[in-house]
Order: sequence, then C-alpha cells, then structure tokens
Amino acid sequence: MAQIDIDELHEEMLQCRRCGLCREAVYEAKGFNGICPVWENTSGFETDAMRGKIMVALALVEGRLEKTAENAEALFQCTLCGNCTQICPAEFEPNRVIEQVRAILDVPIKVRDSLADNIFEKDNPYDEPADKKREWTRELDFSIPTTGETIYFAGCTAALRNPRVARNTARILHIAGIDFAVMENEPCCGSVMMRTGKMDKAVENAQEAAKRFKEAGVQRIIVSCAGCFKTLKKDYEELGIEMPEVVHVVDLAKELIEQGRLQPTDMDEEMTITYHDPCHLGREMNVYDSPRDILTAIPGVTLVEMETHHDKAKCCGAGGGLRSYDSDLSKRIAASRVKEAEATGADIIATACPFCETNLSSGAELAGIQLGTLDVVDILVKALESKTKK
Amino acid sequence: MDKKIVKEIAAIVGEEYVSTRQDVLLTYSQSASTGFDGAMPDLVVKPGSTEEVAAIVKIANRYKIPVTPRSGGTSLQGEVIPKYGGIVIELLRLKEITLFEDLRSVRVGAGVTFGQLDKFLNQHGLWVPVYPESSLACTVAGNVVVNGAGPGSSKYGSIAEMVLGLTVVLPTGEIIKTGAEGNPNAPGPYLRYSFGPDITGLFIGSLGMFGIITTISVKTYKRMQFFDYNTYGFETAEQAERFIHELKQNDVNTLFISLYEGQILDFFMEMLGEEYGIPKYDWPPYTVSLIIGHVRKDVMQSDAAMAREICENLDGFVINIPEFPRGEWEDRLRTFARASYAHGWHWRILYHHHTPMHWHYVIEKIWEGLDKFGILGQTAGFATGHASFNFYPHLYFDPADKEDEEKVRAMHTWLAEQVFKVGAVPFKIAPYWFKDVPEMTDYLNLVKRMKKEMDPNNILNPHILGGEE
Repeated sequence: MAQIDIDELHEEMLQCRRCGLCREAVYEAKGFNGICPVWENTSGFETDAMRGKIMVALALVEGRLEKTAENAEALFQCTLCGNCTQICPAEFEPNRVIEQVRAILDVPIKVRDSLADNIFEKDNPYDEPADKKREWTRELDFSIPTTGETIYFAGCTAALRNPRVARNTARILHIAGIDFAVMENEPCCGSVMMRTGKMDKAVENAQEAAKRFKEAGVQRIIVSCAGCFKTLKKDYEELGIEMPEVVHVVDLAKELIEQGRLQPTDMDEEMTITYHDPCHLGREMNVYDSPRDILTAIPGVTLVEMETHHDKAKCCGAGGGLRSYDSDLSKRIAASRVKEAEATGADIIATACPFCETNLSSGAELAGIQLGTLDVVDILVKALESKTKK
Repeated sequence: MDKKIVKEIAAIVGEEYVSTRQDVLLTYSQSASTGFDGAMPDLVVKPGSTEEVAAIVKIANRYKIPVTPRSGGTSLQGEVIPKYGGIVIELLRLKEITLFEDLRSVRVGAGVTFGQLDKFLNQHGLWVPVYPESSLACTVAGNVVVNGAGPGSSKYGSIAEMVLGLTVVLPTGEIIKTGAEGNPNAPGPYLRYSFGPDITGLFIGSLGMFGIITTISVKTYKRMQFFDYNTYGFETAEQAERFIHELKQNDVNTLFISLYEGQILDFFMEMLGEEYGIPKYDWPPYTVSLIIGHVRKDVMQSDAAMAREICENLDGFVINIPEFPRGEWEDRLRTFARASYAHGWHWRILYHHHTPMHWHYVIEKIWEGLDKFGILGQTAGFATGHASFNFYPHLYFDPADKEDEEKVRAMHTWLAEQVFKVGAVPFKIAPYWFKDVPEMTDYLNLVKRMKKEMDPNNILNPHILGGEE
C-alpha cells in the first residue's frame, strides 16, 4: 500500500454510484452466489455491505458523521475479501478504499492498537513471546538452520496457532531436498496492521523486516500463509521496499511435482476434497491453479468445487482484522463457508492459508459440521510420506 | 422518535432488526439515486414476514409516522428516499420462493432479486423473461412498484404484464391478496383479473404510496435455448423505426430490440465494446440491435430470416455483428450498471415511454437540451411490449461541482416538459412530471382522492404525488 493521498481517496469514494451489486448478487452465469459475507451473517443493514460502508466512510471523512468507534464500526466489520470489488462495475476497488479510510481516520479502536503493540514488542500479534515462534521446529526429525539464502517464513499464525502447517511445509521442502532456514528472529509481516489501518506502524515494521532479511543474506522467501504472501510480495513492493524473491509454497510444490522432485502417491484412502480459495492468494495474487493441481496430482483424491470458487469464492471470515475485531462474526462467516463445503459432499475442505484454516475449523465447530479442515500442505505431505514409508 | 415507539416496533421484529444508529440511518437516507438529495429517517426496521410488516404499519398509522418501504434500494429517481422523522421498512428478509409449476407461475417474497429468482427457475428450465438491467440488486417487488422493464420486455412488456397477483399491507395495516390468490382455496396464482376491477394494477407503479407489497406472483415461461443475435443498419431514423414496427406486425419474436443513433452507439462502444468483444466497425447513422429467441429452433430460424427480409425491404442492411446484441443479452442482469458506471460522473435519469415511430423526436429533444444546458449526457432505448419504447436519458455531472449539478437538475425538469409535449408518458410518477403539466391535473386529482381514501393519515410515501402531502 503506497502513501495515501486523501484527495485521491475522496475521489475514489465518489466512484461508488450505490448500485448495490456488492450486497448479495446471485449471478449464476458468472459464478456469483452472494457477495458480502458480513451482510449475510449479520442483521443485514446497509452498513453491513460495501455500498453502506462507503457511504459511512464518505460521511466520516467529510465530517458529516462524528468520528466515534460506533460510527466507524461498519468500516472495521469487513474482511476486505474483495468479492465486492470483483463484481463492482465502477472503476475503483471498494475493499482497498475501506483499508485506506481505516488508515486515515483518527478513531480510537482498541484492538488494532494492541495488535500493533504486540507486533512491535513480540514480532507477533498474538501476545506470545517472540522466541516461541520457532518452537514448532523442535518436533521435526530433522534440523533446520537459522540462516541461509532460502528461508521458510512460517508467519505468526502457522508458527503459533497452527504449527502443523509449518511442520508440514518444512517436511515438503525437506523431502524435495531444498536447503532452507527458519530465522531465529522472524519478523511479523505486518499484514494485520496494514488491514486495520495502522499504516505508519506497518511501514516501520516492514522496513525493519526487510532489514532483517537483508542482514541475514536472504535471497528467497518461501511462505505458506496467503496473508504473508500478499503482504511481503505485493504490499512491500507498493511501499517501495526492496525484497528478496517471495514464493508461496503451493506454487513451489506444484513446480516440484512437475519436475518429479516431489512424487505424491496413493494414501490408501479415497478422499473427496473441496478447495477454499484464500482471498489474499486468489483474488489478490491470482493463484488459483497451483493448489488445485497439487491436489489432483495425488492419487485417490477427487477435487470438487463449492458453489463459489476461484475469484468469486466466499471469504472464510478471518481477514481484514475481523477475527480480532469481531471474532463471533468471523466464526459465523466461517460456518457459512463450511456449510457451502459440506454441500459438495466433500470429506475435507482444504485451503492454502493457516489463517483461513484456523477460522474454517472454528466455523465447522460452530456449525457442528463433521468436515475435516486441512491445508494443502497437510494433504500433500501425507501423500509424500506414505511413499517414503512404503 | 419516541423510544416507546421504537420499543413497540422492536418487540415485533426483535432488537437485532431495528436500528436508530446514526450511521445506519445515514445509509438509508439515500438509494442509488445519486442525483437526489437525501433525508434521514428516524428508524430502520427489517421485518421477516407480511404479518410483521402489517404490525409495524399499524403502529405507524396510530402515531401518524411517515413510512417508506424499501427493498433493494436500487431506484434511480429518488423514490425510496425517506421522510425526516420517518420509518424505513426494509423488506430484504422476505426471501421465500414458491413455484407453481402446473400454474406456470411463481410467488416470491419482496426481498427476492431477479438474479436469485433466475437461478431458482433455471433449475426447472423456466424463467420470467423480463430482466431489469439492475437485476443483481433489484428485487421483483421493487421493480413492480416502479413498473420497470428491461431485456425481454420487447416481447413481454414491462414487469406489470407478468404479474398475477400480490400480497399487500395497506396503510391501515390490513393485509389483502389480489388476483386468483384472493380466494384462499385457489391452488395458487393463475389469474390476475379477478373479483372485478384490476386492484393489482393499483399497486403496480404506485411507488408504495397505496400499500406495501410483500409477495408478488408472476408468470413463468419455458426457458428459451435458441437465439439469433444480429445488428441492422439504416440511413434514416424513419427506416429504423419502421423496421421495429414491421418486426412487431409480423410477429417476429423480438426478445430485445434497441435502437441507437450513431454517436450514442460510439459512446456505448467506448464503454462496453471491448468487454463484449465487438469488432471495430464504422457504424451507420442508425443501428438496431436485435435478439430473437425461441423455445424451438426451427421457429427461431424462420423469424431470423423474416427479420433480414424486412430489413432489406426497407433499404437497410444486415450488419452481421452478433457480438453486440449477444453481449447485451448475456450480460442482461447488469448491463445498465456496467454501462452507467463505467464512464461519467454521477447522473440523473429520466425514464419515460414513447413509441418507436416517435423515437427521433425524443432524440432531437435530448440533443437540443444537452446543447442548451451545456452538459454531457446520452440516451438509449428499447422496445417494450406492444407499441411502446422505453427511454432513459442519462444526464451526467461532477458531484464536486455544484454549478454543474444545478445545470443537470434544470435540464431534467426541462426535458420532462419537452418529451411530454411530443407525446411521451411517464411510467414512474416522479414529482417533476407533475410540474407545469396541466394536462395531468384531472388524473392526478383522482389519484389523490384514492390516496386519501386508502391512507387517511397519509403515512405511506406521502411525498410521491407531485411533491404534495
């Protein structure tokens, strides 16, 4: 996210002509089956969908609405998933506009301040000790150095909340024979600060992160988190920060399978899997095929699509800081996504983002649905290790 | 608003469906009508059933509080802008869809959009072949109260022609059903004209001033699978107009016919040409874009041959660029939004009907107005039913330039008067139609008498009738 020009942002907001397509459009021929996950999982007032959010944003910026936490709630009750941008006929990106308005509005939002403080003090937003971020490596039967030209950047969620994803990513890289390291002082990418409008802090954090990569001599960063991927690759570039190459593990694994360096084999069980597109990997970074290609390369796996998928996929509910801002709503959104997955008849909903997976898992629990939630790396590693064992 | 009243209403629908928050009220102070001034209501309520709507209206009637019903909020002429101090009743929670396959009809709640209905009917090989071009956000109920039209209307007319009956909450809170469903023993909706005069018609195009529509029953048709898309060129407006007339006279199944003047077509091409994959072409002075559709292939082919023959008999020529009408048809659920929002600033729109044979009068007036007021605009139109043609001039302005906006408002009023003089009729009773149009007085007085009888406390959309209350 580059420097915000307030006049330009104001003009952007005026691009909204209030057509309302961003609310619940069902457009079968184009693959849309509803648009706004917040609108669908709340009382459904205008403030819950993007048209209303833009009206509120305009009023706050123009001073027609008092800048209070309550009046700004609509702006923070948004996953910034971008499905509205996908259908918007006007020439602007509403989700990006909301992200920018969050950054310029001087409204007290406690949760975002504490997230930012945690990141600065502990390199993660979860208020965990910084040195805990590498704990997951201890449960592997191989060791990972702390320095190297290629690093696996686990990210805060995989490292501290979903270490299975971190370990399985490491296993895949190990099986493929890739030399990689995991930093001792892995920074937080700062995604949550950017999304929740702590831009000044996020820029500072990004500069510090880039400095650490440079000092460690990093040439290539492998990530398994969609949020880290978008932030390190796209947002940092927009900030003009020089970065090493950033690769998502699904793109890399797909390539390794094609090269024969990874050979997934039969897992002795048939699996029907549906794939959930993380907003930051799909709509933001245009990565749709790699995870699907990996899954279909595994013998015994049948891939089925949910009603909304690819660039029209509904959000898991975790993004845009919503999981911290309103975790109940975030989980309700996840529950609806899991219901969509259940309707396909799949045994598993797979994704390629530990943040999505964690929330989908909460959603399944909330909805009381017995559906496995896994990361693509979890499934791939099973298919790779099954061969190793044989 | 008195907290006691808010509490009474919340008791009907539940706390979560009532709001008096400033940010929420702000978002209901406007609709998609970017050219109209907003007004903050005091309360927004989202009922979940007809009975809840009725209970809310009874309270509003008792306390004489103005009520504005609203569904998709996609109206473009300020119709659903509320009254200060009033209540907005938003109907989007009314989502039921009931198919009566044997009766060739479907009943939908007031919160169902055309996109949702189309998907549902597609599972049964059916459709309602009239698509307002805001179908993804526009509800069937909303379209009925403004009597809208869109792709499909060139054959099937405006949405009014599809309606078989309604459930309506009257301003007093009573609930009535019209059409065959007025008989509780009826197997479903199968006839509109029952029990004497056409009471259903009273509510169509009424902008909600006579009652709040909570369900609509409409005709369904077998979904067509065979289409012929083509474009036809003419040197004069009269030839192009005659072409439309002859297509109708020869019963060609014209699902959608649009007529474009050269420079307006160029404007359209700039907006959507590339997206629809339309090849570069030196378009003639007048172009007709035509979609013929049929359930049976042989009949479609026969109609397509007839269209070509009629065109050539009128000294026109077949352009053979099918991408243009195909793009319009395949994107029919949102063409208007695409075309309107892709270019230009905010805009006012002036919906009206005229006849295909008078098409050129309207075009001439629009160009005259754009020159006279020095603003940017355009118009397009399509045939709607038996002998009418729907126009929707767009007048653009920069919302940051107040002077520009004032010019557009002035031209809007002027154009309404002018097109009325050359024989156009409104299909939405927006206030500007009544201004300086003495020919409308008697008609308007009758409507006012009916309004007074039905809504003695004048609570439902009180500002609709020419701005008077």
